[in-house]
Amino acid sequence: MRDDEAINAAREAVAIAMKQGAVAAEAVASLGSRFSVEARQTTVTKLERSIGKSLSLRVFVEGGRKAALSTADFSHDSLRGAIARAVAQAAVVGADPHAGLPDQTADSIPDLGLFDDAIAARDDAAGIDDVLEMERELRASDARIDNSNGSHYAGGVSTHALANSNGFSGVYSTTRASRSASPVASDGEHKRTAHYGTAARRLDELESNASVARMAARRTVEMFGAGRPATMRVPVIFERDVAAAVLSDVFSAVSAANVAVGNSWLSGRLDERIGSDAVTIVDDGRSAGRLGSSPFDSEGVATRRTVVVERGILRTFLYDTYYARRLGAATTGNASGSGIGPNNFYLEPGSGSLDDLIASTGRGVLVLDTIGFATEHATGTFSRGARGFCIEGGELVGPIEEFTIAASLPDMLAGIDAAAGDLHFDASIVAPSFRVAQMQVSGI
Amino acid sequence: MIDIDLFSQLLSRALRNGGDYADVFAERRDALAYRFQDGRVHESGLSVTQGVGIRVVVGEAAGYAFSDDLSTQALMEAADTAAHIARNGPARSARTIRVGEVAVNAPYRKSQTNRADVARYVALIERVDVAARAFDPRVVAVNAHVTDELQEVWIAGSDGALVYDRRPLVTLGAQVITVGNGERGAGYCADGGRISISFFDDVRTPESIACEAARVSIVNVEAIAAPAGEMEMIVGAGSGGVLLHEALGHGLESDFNRRGVSLYSGRVGQRVASELVTIYDDGNLAEERGSIGVDDEGVAGQHKVLVENGVLRGYMQDRLNARLMGVGPTGSGRRQSFRSMPQPRMCNTYMPDGASSVDEILASTKRGIYAKSFGGGQVEISKGDFVFMVSEGYLVENGKIVAPIKHATIVGNGPEAMTNVVAVGNDSRFAPRHYTCGKGGQNVPVGVGMPTIKISAITVGGTRDA
Repeated sequence: MRDDEAINAAREAVAIAMKQGAVAAEAVASLGSRFSVEARQTTVTKLERSIGKSLSLRVFVEGGRKAALSTADFSHDSLRGAIARAVAQAAVVGADPHAGLPDQTADSIPDLGLFDDAIAARDDAAGIDDVLEMERELRASDARIDNSNGSHYAGGVSTHALANSNGFSGVYSTTRASRSASPVASDGEHKRTAHYGTAARRLDELESNASVARMAARRTVEMFGAGRPATMRVPVIFERDVAAAVLSDVFSAVSAANVAVGNSWLSGRLDERIGSDAVTIVDDGRSAGRLGSSPFDSEGVATRRTVVVERGILRTFLYDTYYARRLGAATTGNASGSGIGPNNFYLEPGSGSLDDLIASTGRGVLVLDTIGFATEHATGTFSRGARGFCIEGGELVGPIEEFTIAASLPDMLAGIDAAAGDLHFDASIVAPSFRVAQMQVSGI
Repeated sequence: MIDIDLFSQLLSRALRNGGDYADVFAERRDALAYRFQDGRVHESGLSVTQGVGIRVVVGEAAGYAFSDDLSTQALMEAADTAAHIARNGPARSARTIRVGEVAVNAPYRKSQTNRADVARYVALIERVDVAARAFDPRVVAVNAHVTDELQEVWIAGSDGALVYDRRPLVTLGAQVITVGNGERGAGYCADGGRISISFFDDVRTPESIACEAARVSIVNVEAIAAPAGEMEMIVGAGSGGVLLHEALGHGLESDFNRRGVSLYSGRVGQRVASELVTIYDDGNLAEERGSIGVDDEGVAGQHKVLVENGVLRGYMQDRLNARLMGVGPTGSGRRQSFRSMPQPRMCNTYMPDGASSVDEILASTKRGIYAKSFGGGQVEISKGDFVFMVSEGYLVENGKIVAPIKHATIVGNGPEAMTNVVAVGNDSRFAPRHYTCGKGGQNVPVGVGMPTIKISAITVGGTRDA
């Protein structure tokens, strides 16, 4: 039913655009519903429910001139008015031989296990029980946890339909559930907060309330008594969540949209060594049940598995149709709304645990959390505020905070000398914990 | 967008289980964007959204539902969903709410204009591209963008007021990439505000934006690695206001304080900064990005004294937290769109003039960095550790600028950094208008401003040993 509604909306938008003078058009219609709940202590503090829809349309006129439209108003008259404006807007865009629909779209739409009835049918009361349980678990886990910034559960269903003027149409639905907790602890002198959150496509793959609360509680109280490290150059271990943040910067650098305009330190480096042997990076749109999986991308191109970096050698950038044509390559199925996006983009895991990684590090720093987003993508300059632990003789010796870690991304990738086996697909960009042989730590 | 009787009906329906307060937020937004790349208009985009959010507040709890379907039936269902939060409350007789229109005087109203011709936007980004390329032969890429947005909001509260605000927002910006001596450099500049694009005809030309971005990109090509370690820092006028926003501003938002999460909870009247430090937040400044006629709960934008001569004076309040804290709202309830509930947020946060000249501040600095402009920042609320990112900075030795430094993150602790302010310049000004603040997944436009100041010790996160 929802499939039909979405696909009809996408087809109608394409038909209107063609009638109004477009030479090609493509529409994505999305329908979604979402429930979310927050509790603090024993009180349910937020209940939100939404039913939303959106339509994204690309219209092409003669000469590869294009315009994009997004709207939530599907009514025929409003759609006609908005599409007329988009077609007029396209006419002023510069002629561009590379712009246009993809040459080949997905010829089948496999079921990748992205929809879970247990999430779709879940009762609101079950979500409310979740957040109250997380709050109870937080308080039970440590006496210093005396306050909360809120525990959350959210569950939602989305249907995505795509149609284009070459006759392609396809639709698929997904579910997503998430849990998070943000306790506040006090030792009488200082307050501490931390956050832990996780998400999955299937309810039975979602981390339990107790586990989410325990992780958030541990992250909060373990920082009591933190000092500041000396300014030094040492090995730095990135715990998996912050390792994933580093990998997001690598994604920006391999995105063809950035490469094409010189805004990537990897421009011109194809087939060169850009990392150590421990660095194999994959983008996979087809793995079953994962958050970054989909049968086709936002242009209707079949997703695939792409090895981006193979044992340190840069094999390819990630493309949509436009940037592939512009850079003389083939699309990798990474079109995403207005740009190029990750499917499941990850660093291949090594073996062993984070503890093993720590034990094999004589003196260094374990980073558990970073703040800031100062990566200069043109040059690869990387610098972040951080908190974590000092490592001495392979053991954690005390929490540290209010320091920065810095290096260039090229030096960091070349310096990755070990990765743990703790890869966990709870986002579309993920990484196992890894160690960089040497980075600048800046403290006192 | 929806008629006045329907607002009244929705409010009555939303409060059918009781509740302290309810509001209906209706929004229409029309946004245009053009991007210029490779010497031609590369992308054009149009976004037209509208929808309604309905909220019911009971104590510290809130129920919320939104709909982009404006039919009476869909909106009544949203009102029922929002009312669900009050289902377990004490039984109350349903109230009948009648709303009436209230006039609003927005500071930026006088500069509203209608949409310009497409050709006019295209001409602006073309001029940015041409000027940036002409600035220096080392310029290899220019990405220019222009956006023009009009947001209209109607907010009806169960107190019976219906207010309307109309918020234009334009931005013209350029990212310039330069290559020289095998090094890359990037520079960014953007400006605009709650004005019409005629701002770029005379007040702020596309050429001035392009040349500023190109100049910074060349500074960064020539930059040496930033130092690592603790040192003196001069924070440049204008975009240095990012420091106030992160080091103090977020910690003074009332949700964190009412919940007891912020380190500034319960500290009104206490010393929280050097006595040289005074900080205001103002929603009423003509043209600034963070200005509002009314906030997203219908409360008029205001001038707020946050810190006065180092003493904490008050928090930024939305309705829910103000009521629970027993004070009045300060026009700080803002939201990204009808899809979200409001949160207490900053508008335009700034520090007024102090007594020192910039020359005196520079001359007094023995060894440190001069951070002239900032790309953004982030803060951790409970302990107050923050970062902010230098996008144009210089090494200073013995009172003189020695060399530009590459991008670096500065890390500090809010109360410590504010206590370590040892000089405040007499050159206060607002930053170019392009900053956006994110909180709880919601982005809103903000302004920041500051004179040149000096902090006696802060940690610079470069890669070069001190």
